[in-house]
Amino acid sequence: MITLGSQGKNTFLEDVNLKSGANVLECYQCGKCVGTCPVSQYMDFPPREIMQMVKLGLRNECYMANSHWFCLTCSACSGRCPREIDIPAVMEAVRHLAIDENYINDSKKVKEIRKFHEIFLDMIKRYGRNYELRMMAEFNIRTRNLFKDMHLAPKALLKGKIPLGVKPLKSAKAIKRMFAIAEKLEKNK
Amino acid sequence: MARVGVFVCFCGANIADYVDVPQVVEEVKRIKEVKFATEYKYMCSDPGQGMIRDAIIQYKLTSIVVAACSPRMHEKTFRKALSDAGMNPYLLEVANIREHSSWVHQKDKKAATNKAMDLCRMAVAKSIANEQLHEISVPVTKRALVIGGGIAGIQAALDIADARIPVVLVEKSPSIGGKMAQLDETFPTLDCAQCILTPKMVDVASHPYIELIPYAEVLELQGFVGNYKVKIKKKASYVNFKTCTGCGACWQKCPVKVPNEYNMGIDKRKAIYTPFPQAVPNKPVIDAENCTMLTKGKCGICKKVCLPGAIDYEMQDEIIEREIGAVVVATGYDMWDPTPYEEYGVGRFKDIITSLEFERMVSANGPTNGVPQRPSDGKVPKNVVFIKCVGSRDEAKGIEYCSKICCMYTTKHTILLHHKVHDSHAYVFYMDIRAAGKGYEEFVKKAQVDTGTTYLRGRVSKIYKKGDKLMVRGEDAQIGQVVEVEADLVVLATAVSAPKDNPELARLLGISYDKYGYLSEAHPKLRPVETAKAGIFLAGCTQAPKDIPETVSQASACAAKVCGLFSGDTMKKDPMVSTINNEYCSGCQNCVKVCPYGAIITDEVPVGHGIKDLRTVAKINEGVCQGCGSCVAICRSMAITLAGFTDPQIINEIVSI
Repeated sequence: MITLGSQGKNTFLEDVNLKSGANVLECYQCGKCVGTCPVSQYMDFPPREIMQMVKLGLRNECYMANSHWFCLTCSACSGRCPREIDIPAVMEAVRHLAIDENYINDSKKVKEIRKFHEIFLDMIKRYGRNYELRMMAEFNIRTRNLFKDMHLAPKALLKGKIPLGVKPLKSAKAIKRMFAIAEKLEKNK
Repeated sequence: MARVGVFVCFCGANIADYVDVPQVVEEVKRIKEVKFATEYKYMCSDPGQGMIRDAIIQYKLTSIVVAACSPRMHEKTFRKALSDAGMNPYLLEVANIREHSSWVHQKDKKAATNKAMDLCRMAVAKSIANEQLHEISVPVTKRALVIGGGIAGIQAALDIADARIPVVLVEKSPSIGGKMAQLDETFPTLDCAQCILTPKMVDVASHPYIELIPYAEVLELQGFVGNYKVKIKKKASYVNFKTCTGCGACWQKCPVKVPNEYNMGIDKRKAIYTPFPQAVPNKPVIDAENCTMLTKGKCGICKKVCLPGAIDYEMQDEIIEREIGAVVVATGYDMWDPTPYEEYGVGRFKDIITSLEFERMVSANGPTNGVPQRPSDGKVPKNVVFIKCVGSRDEAKGIEYCSKICCMYTTKHTILLHHKVHDSHAYVFYMDIRAAGKGYEEFVKKAQVDTGTTYLRGRVSKIYKKGDKLMVRGEDAQIGQVVEVEADLVVLATAVSAPKDNPELARLLGISYDKYGYLSEAHPKLRPVETAKAGIFLAGCTQAPKDIPETVSQASACAAKVCGLFSGDTMKKDPMVSTINNEYCSGCQNCVKVCPYGAIITDEVPVGHGIKDLRTVAKINEGVCQGCGSCVAICRSMAITLAGFTDPQIINEIVSI
């Protein structure tokens, strides 16, 4: 059960609004985002409920949800939102706040998703772009599921969807520098 | 010999799908008086009427039978077609083969056809005995009565009076203004209710065509449209309004304090009082139940301090009679009493108030100077929970219907709360947000986004006390979880209910009311301001819950209806009225007893045969008679004839089948 009215000001709403640039109060709970979202059925709280939880200031409940981890930021929801709310930005804001405050859903799925993100960023950092083959291999090794999706490999290879090598971007160095700056900022926070 | 023309309508497929129309035509053609019979797809259309007009002239017809829909639908249309062809319109008979046959016998086409043939035969037989009739002219008294001085009554009275028609406005409380005078600001524009209402109240008092009778009730209404007589009881105010200057010395000195109705009992008023500072008329009245001078004969202070000597303890109720032609009923509504909501602790917890109490608290001229306070300790509330649908849409404890205005006034309350207490937070428990109206949805958005009102979807299940807070428990269906709100104050959006005096008033006026006590309109869509009784109209919440813009629209619509009614010096009336044959009348007066309209009185006529003595006979006021036929049925000596439904006509009908 949730108790409202005792915690004073809704700082969670303010944090999310500030970080996302959206105004969650605009949400009138129509649920069009939920119908639109390709992954809402895998979320424990679909986007509409996340919006309401932000409105009610349910910080911990929101952080512990897996929804913001499942969000693909595909922006289909915000494209169809009648109040034009940037819902992916809200999801991202919740994700950032959850990491900042170390409240992370520790389910297997979320762990895998986080690993996927980490490996992806690592690829960008190294090559300035994605290296699909290495990304898949690393993901399978780090999630200890070596043969995951292996049956798809021959077909994808034949179609040229998985290049065997990678040609780093010319601007890879600049991207590396960006990472360095970002890491520095993160440390100084 | 009669020459009858019969016109059978297909009504598109409405009749033709279930009744074999050509067979009906063939059947009626076999009647020897029928000189012409035909069928058509839409008889009421212009070509259809043209067929009737042409046949009347071509076949020299003496009466017409149209077999079509109910006469309530198109009798007037076809009568006009007859007139256009130079024929007396009352020579028309309508055989209702739609509502009475095709629609109700859709499963048996043969039976439907047989019944349609019977109905046509009857109509033909009756029409043979039809006689030429002529419309009756009735004089009209061009004065309107408006019952109720809220915004509906005020608007109707002003609109009628502006058309230079005299109006008598009767209000039961000491001042006009009604519920709107108690409101602070109005949705969705947040206009100050007082600022827009009080000028109208003043206009009523100063209008040369309006006679304002406050502190009065309607006792009796007699007569008929255009010619009503009304008896009004003017309650004793114990203050002579003519000499009273409205100085206020009396109520300042009065020692008796009683709960103030205008402020929903939050503060006290005196036994001699004006309901509120802007009251119209701005003269005090003495509340006879609480005045110690009137109840125990002790005190008399007000009389001592009244310099003009306007106080009169001997004043009696006064009966006023007026002749009027039309009535506008605008008796408003009552707030529903939330006592049945025991799970909310209504009556047990002081900090639960109703919406009108909250309205008075946030009102600038209210008992708390516009700042809401907790009734228990007078503190300014920070967390306020508003509960919608208290009584509305609750078949178990309240009323089935939606009260229509609560969604919007609750939205307004959350905004007003924020205006008055900046660091407050409003929570609204709701089932739906019904914001259909100009600027209404935008207003709700304003509350949700700009004011930050939290809407929780669900009915509150219970309220309990925790320390000095009230814990309001319910579901928020938006996240599918139970929530509890720690509230300083709880405001119940109580339902709108019909005035409790409405059934009595309806009986007195001879109009009908629904199961909730709201007065019934003649047709829910096409005659929403008329009642079933001619000349009586409805404005405002007395018909159904509605907001101020709708109320004002309906009031103006009533005024238009009244002005239309009074547009001529006389009114035309159908000639289907009873007449009495004095030679047969025995003077038993049974007809006087059964007449539901009071249309029959007694008269004295010479006995005759050279005898000079007088004897009593019945006499019918044809202006009042509605042609119901009750007197015809009760008359033992068969002295009464109802035009259009004479004995030969009825007997012909019966014999024909």
